[in-house]
Amino acid sequence: MPRLGELERSVMNVLWDASEPLTVREVLDSLDDRALAYTTVMTVLDRLGAKEMVVRERDGRAFRYAPALARDAATSELLHAALDQAGGDRTAALVHFARSVDPAEAQALRAALDEIESRTSE
Amino acid sequence: MTPVLLGLIGLALALPVPALLARIAWPLLVPRAGIVLWQSFALAAVLAISGAALSTALWLVTDDRLTWWRIALHLVILGIGVLVWARFWWAAWTVWRETQARRRRQRHLVDLLGEADGMAPALRILQEQTPIAYCVPGMGSPRIVVSQGTISALSATEYAAVLEHERAHVRRRHDLVLEAFTVLHRAFPRFLRTDAPLVQSKIMVELLADDAARKAVGDAPVARALVTLAGAPTPAGALGSGGAARARMARLQDPDPRNALASTTAYAISAIVLVAPTVLLAVPWMLHALDTLTQR
Repeated sequence: MPRLGELERSVMNVLWDASEPLTVREVLDSLDDRALAYTTVMTVLDRLGAKEMVVRERDGRAFRYAPALARDAATSELLHAALDQAGGDRTAALVHFARSVDPAEAQALRAALDEIESRTSE
Repeated sequence: MTPVLLGLIGLALALPVPALLARIAWPLLVPRAGIVLWQSFALAAVLAISGAALSTALWLVTDDRLTWWRIALHLVILGIGVLVWARFWWAAWTVWRETQARRRRQRHLVDLLGEADGMAPALRILQEQTPIAYCVPGMGSPRIVVSQGTISALSATEYAAVLEHERAHVRRRHDLVLEAFTVLHRAFPRFLRTDAPLVQSKIMVELLADDAARKAVGDAPVARALVTLAGAPTPAGALGSGGAARARMARLQDPDPRNALASTTAYAISAIVLVAPTVLLAVPWMLHALDTLTQR
């Protein structure tokens, strides 16, 4: 039984790979996991809906589910937030390891590194 | 006299003092004490300005002959004092709410797009060639995000250094430090503030996380990882300030960056800045006010 987070990822990938909105049954069939219950997939889709990752539309008596944004759009939103260089009043939602610097700066950093390398190798 | 002095202290702590402090480098030598120092300045400024407003307001109505202009002025100045605090709490609320929302969104995206690593539950690896390493801090469910590009650009120990650095941010709740400075930054009106406390505190938490990383893996891997990742081009072509990277390298160059004198000085100044105005100015005045009020 895969963990819930893992399952959300798999379901999302199924929806991303599909060319049209899918029903719960279709998602379940694409997942290729016999142990998985229909209600579990429905719960996962509900959770993804609550996270605004999935939208659902009524189709007759059933619901069809589609990604709220394409995989590319999700990736670019993530990267955009991750690489956002804006400072100032921005809230500290993410804490980076390092920001990019200009070439002259990089040169100075490398010089400092050489010094550290020679000190620590002694 | 008290209100004027308090007001002056408040204004000085809000603008000229931080501007001067930003020019001297020694708070960066002692990041932990430096953060406390900056915090105490900003907090003391808020206290002094609202204290000045409150004491002026009270002084205006403690006179025996109550005229209409005294009462009107009393209300206006009292209003300013209340406004300072209202602004402070409003800033705290909006910063907290925005940060939570942005982090939640990041977590959702990262969990769906990144692969979990079996060894570290908080780690997510993105299939992306751009070198990226950051953390999404937060209560209970922090995430450390690295891209495939980061992993392939670094050696095993350098990679360990990056993870250790990010773990230190998460473990020591550096996000709370930065949030507090963002709140104070936003609480002051634009013409009454400098960017220095926020900018410097960002550098200081990096220095602290580097300290944790070098303790775990040694100086050279941290420095190499920093040079590799800071030197990597970003697709947007945007360049960040090099100040942080330079300050971090400078600290890494020092085999033993502890500096007892500088940190004691910073702690002592923090205590004085916070306690002294309250004790020297506000307490005598409050006693006097109490005296006047009880005599009625």
